[in-house]
Amino acid sequence: MVNITIDGKQVSVAEGTTVLRAAEQAGVAIPTLCDHKELAPYGGCRLCLVEVEGARTLQPSCTLPVTPNMIVHTATEKVKDARKFVLSLIFSERNHFCMYCQVSGGDCELQNSAYAEGMTHWPLQPNYTPFSVDASNPYFVIDNNRCILCRRCVRACGELVGNFTLGIEERGANSYLVADLGGPIGESSCVSCGTCVQVCPTGAIIDRQSAYNGREKDTTKVKTICTRCSIGCGLEVLTRDNRVVRIDGDWDAEINQGLLCAAGRFEPLINDKDRITTALLAGKDGQKACTVDTALNEITKQIKSGESIAALITDSASLEELSLFSQIFSKSGKTQLGTISGQGFANMRSTPYHAELSTLAEVSQADCIITIGADLSRDHQVAGFMVKRQLPAGTKLIMLADPKNAFAANADLVLDTSKALVPAVKELIQGISDETSSVYRLVKNAGSIGFILGELPNEAEIDAFGKSFNELLDALQKSGKSSRVIHLNGGANGSSVSAFGLDGSVDVKDAKTVLLFQGEETIDQKLAQQLAAIPNLFVIGTYSSALSARAKVVLPVRAWWETAGNYVNIECTVQQSTPVTQAADGVSSMQEILAALGKLQGLDLKIEWQNTLGIPSRP
Amino acid sequence: MTKPTISSDWLAGCAGCHMSLLDIDERILQVLELAELRSTPITDLKEPDAAGVDVGVLEGGISNSYNEEVAHKMRSRCKTLVALGDCAVFGGVPAMRNFFTLEETLRRAYIETPSTDESGKIPSDPELAVPTKVRAVSDVAKVDVFVPGCPPDADVIFYVLSELAQGRKPELKDGLLHWH
Repeated sequence: MVNITIDGKQVSVAEGTTVLRAAEQAGVAIPTLCDHKELAPYGGCRLCLVEVEGARTLQPSCTLPVTPNMIVHTATEKVKDARKFVLSLIFSERNHFCMYCQVSGGDCELQNSAYAEGMTHWPLQPNYTPFSVDASNPYFVIDNNRCILCRRCVRACGELVGNFTLGIEERGANSYLVADLGGPIGESSCVSCGTCVQVCPTGAIIDRQSAYNGREKDTTKVKTICTRCSIGCGLEVLTRDNRVVRIDGDWDAEINQGLLCAAGRFEPLINDKDRITTALLAGKDGQKACTVDTALNEITKQIKSGESIAALITDSASLEELSLFSQIFSKSGKTQLGTISGQGFANMRSTPYHAELSTLAEVSQADCIITIGADLSRDHQVAGFMVKRQLPAGTKLIMLADPKNAFAANADLVLDTSKALVPAVKELIQGISDETSSVYRLVKNAGSIGFILGELPNEAEIDAFGKSFNELLDALQKSGKSSRVIHLNGGANGSSVSAFGLDGSVDVKDAKTVLLFQGEETIDQKLAQQLAAIPNLFVIGTYSSALSARAKVVLPVRAWWETAGNYVNIECTVQQSTPVTQAADGVSSMQEILAALGKLQGLDLKIEWQNTLGIPSRP
Repeated sequence: MTKPTISSDWLAGCAGCHMSLLDIDERILQVLELAELRSTPITDLKEPDAAGVDVGVLEGGISNSYNEEVAHKMRSRCKTLVALGDCAVFGGVPAMRNFFTLEETLRRAYIETPSTDESGKIPSDPELAVPTKVRAVSDVAKVDVFVPGCPPDADVIFYVLSELAQGRKPELKDGLLHWH
């Protein structure tokens, strides 16, 4: 520990701590612009200059490590003058006129800093050089005229997301933000994860949806989780007047550490779908609005009729909903049960592997990462970011995948699995001890191996895969390497569907009646075609579609941000989602609908998942 | 003792800051008890007295040679010069045109607008003021008190005027300091 004095306050901090972080611990606020707690110190803006006794000049506190008995002053006239001067230079460099800027009035760190220094004017006039504005991305706009060159976005894009799309072109005052080697960001390698938008301190990168929809102080912030995939990222949702304004990644959430993908951050705000707002009943002259009770009675009549039915539920349903669903529709000769995605993620559970369940952070920090059947550039992108950001530090990446997999560009080695998966696993096993193989070269110095398992083979091949995967884990253990495994599981509760017996394959082709607990899920083309031929289709969904238009009964359900529920994330931790806005009257949650259906059938339903899931307790 | 005198004028602005001045409502009577209002653009007397005033207030930026002339005259005839509003303090909305050439902005204003017919031409009468880049008042005259805001809140204006009327230099900070 090192003892230092900041503005007369003594504080003891770990060696290597910067003066800025030490000041935070001492409760002394030092203004900064380029600093961000999630990013490495950069020393770009010079706003954090402090006076250190014995030092010849003012020192940037964000990059200055503490030394024993250092005495720091942060509020002397010299420091204050320097801050004003730094701010004056920043203001004079570009177009920083607040009155026509989106973030003015509380959301701009530059403006807030100027207010804090009591700046009533700019001693230097701007030089009025126009810079480019890039509006080619569908979700955000980059305005170089508002940029202060703090490079938070550039650093976030590389350090946090591992994408390295953003960079700086030119030198000094002529510097500007570019994507890749120049050209519009909409045509670049950008994956629209929006981390740059979240870290931008000014109005240089603004989100199209939330722009001019109110300042942060006018909004309510609610922490919840994303239910778009099985990762279960932490979100901070900003709402105003019962409307979602913006979705930010929750920096405090362990699983995603503030990162989100376009599907979690931007897509929920794109309002291009029609909500189902009322229950509908099909009659002779098409669908007519009816009460929820009438719709529920119709569905109950169909269930009780004893005819063969297929009931499908979205794997983004909450544990409560899956629990009720599995009790109402028990598997029998006449009833088929399953999920809409139809992916049986039970697979690995029935052939347990010899490795302890790990966390995303642990897996991504292994010396060598091996993905099996996962396309991290398409699904579970946040896991992909966490892998990619480790690669510059020398982490090796081996992918067992189809070579067409877009993530393969990041891999050191791709073992082709387009025909069969098991031979690729065998090749890995052999490679561990074969000094001439490329596998050996990549894993020989790795003490830990992180496995990311994605879409696994179908039921026919799963046993063979499970066997060879266990051989692989044994071989690694023998050569002194530890293995960590994480399993990506489709929809938000994809890891739980098997425990509820919902992972069997369902063939709807010959069914007369299909109950579709669709929620917000999009139906793939193949299933949609099959469903289009079903005479009795019942849709319990959020958005209207071609399918709902031809359903016998349609019941509206709430969107994820209007519902509370429990979800199991990929680390097998149960997380609770919190509703951020209120649903319209007459739109119930799927849980309420299922409970009502159970009651109408005279069933005694109990919401239960702890025992069903057998969730391992984590220390 | 005679009351301190105040004069005001507007340059390249929108008159909004003077509207905000009227927004101080009945408190204007308190200001008038403390100070004497001389010339303003919204009263009969248009120019500050040749003998000088105590406080000169300018709204708007400097967008042409005439604005510059008015600013110089105000500066020479007042003891304390106040830049009122974002245009006077920073250049403001009119300064948006600085990101284009003067030629481009004039063409846009007099020839390319949808409402201009074919005879549209850029005025070039020697009697007219010569347009320049838009600057803050402090670029052409020494400013003593900066009151940013677009427009400054009525409370800010009342605070500034009452401080000046009582011979003190107003200090804008915390809740009173807003640029927009």
